[in-house]
Amino acid sequence: MRRFDGTQLVSRLAGDAPIVSNLGPSSDELWHAGHRDRNFYTYGNMGLCSSIALGMAMVTDEQVISLDGDGSMLMNLGTVASIGREQPKNLTVIVWDNEQWGQTGGQTSHTGTGTDLEKVAQSCGITRTKTVSDLEDLEAAVSEALASSDGPYFIVAKIEEAGYMSVAPVEPEFTLYRFRNTFVEPRRPGD
Amino acid sequence: MNWAEQIVQTLKDWDTSMIVYVPDISIHQVTSLIDADPYFKLVSATREEEAIGIAVGSYAAGRNAAVFMQSSGFGNSVNAIASLCVPARTPIPMFVNMRGGPGEFNIAQVAMGRAVIPIMDQLGLPHFILEDDGKMDKLLDGAMKLCHANRQPLAICLTQMLHGGKIA
Repeated sequence: MRRFDGTQLVSRLAGDAPIVSNLGPSSDELWHAGHRDRNFYTYGNMGLCSSIALGMAMVTDEQVISLDGDGSMLMNLGTVASIGREQPKNLTVIVWDNEQWGQTGGQTSHTGTGTDLEKVAQSCGITRTKTVSDLEDLEAAVSEALASSDGPYFIVAKIEEAGYMSVAPVEPEFTLYRFRNTFVEPRRPGD
Repeated sequence: MNWAEQIVQTLKDWDTSMIVYVPDISIHQVTSLIDADPYFKLVSATREEEAIGIAVGSYAAGRNAAVFMQSSGFGNSVNAIASLCVPARTPIPMFVNMRGGPGEFNIAQVAMGRAVIPIMDQLGLPHFILEDDGKMDKLLDGAMKLCHANRQPLAICLTQMLHGGKIA
């Protein structure tokens, strides 16, 4: 499975649900899959994609999706424990797992040498977990998660790295306030 | 109203109900009040940069958030602040318990404690020392106003002189 095919699928299934995307290719490909104001692209803060999604899920009743990566998640495994502790019913974490740090030279990540992120999630108290490696299984898992009010869901999506698309022309401040303004009245000068 | 109660009141005045923290014995004087108050959602993070991420997520979805941490944990959170809060312009007030000052007993706390203010300055972020001088309410209210006007994080530093916290 290629990440972009999976991203297009998730974007289509998500409807209007907020999506937070990991820095680099996950954000670029989410933009190429079709920009929506409910996309929260990140371009720094490696490791915090699912933490941001957790923060969102705790303050809205809407379904929230995190498109994380194996290298980034390994940098902040503590947030899997926080998701297990808080048990947000409306959070779906999808980890694009290419078993490498793709953008720094393709070095093998810890998921390529035995770390099983699905088992990590389970051991943190997340019971609805799945590891998938093709689009059909990904569609079934994501569809189940988004139709459920009994999350959190944790889906490890094994992918084959297929190269990178052009960097998306997004800007952090615009991204944040365009996203936020779908939840609250826009700020006015002097507010 | 003591300093801890004043912080709680100020958070309410500024509609800031999502509080993310990494436990600390001195800020416990505030976070225990928050934990007991149904107005707030108190979330325990495993590390301070994670706390920043959770707080930004809350703000992005429309609910104001604040973070409580120790100065050592501020060190853990610097890249999250610099690469997320600063470029995205998120007003996240940070209440930082300052170790390494007068009364400190632990040499390992001194260097990071002393580095907090210079790092904040390098990031261009405002910071204030909270003192129990009869003007606490004005400082806290003004700091929150500045934080939202500037749409950047801001540090309110809590010292041992204020809270009489952990010493040898």
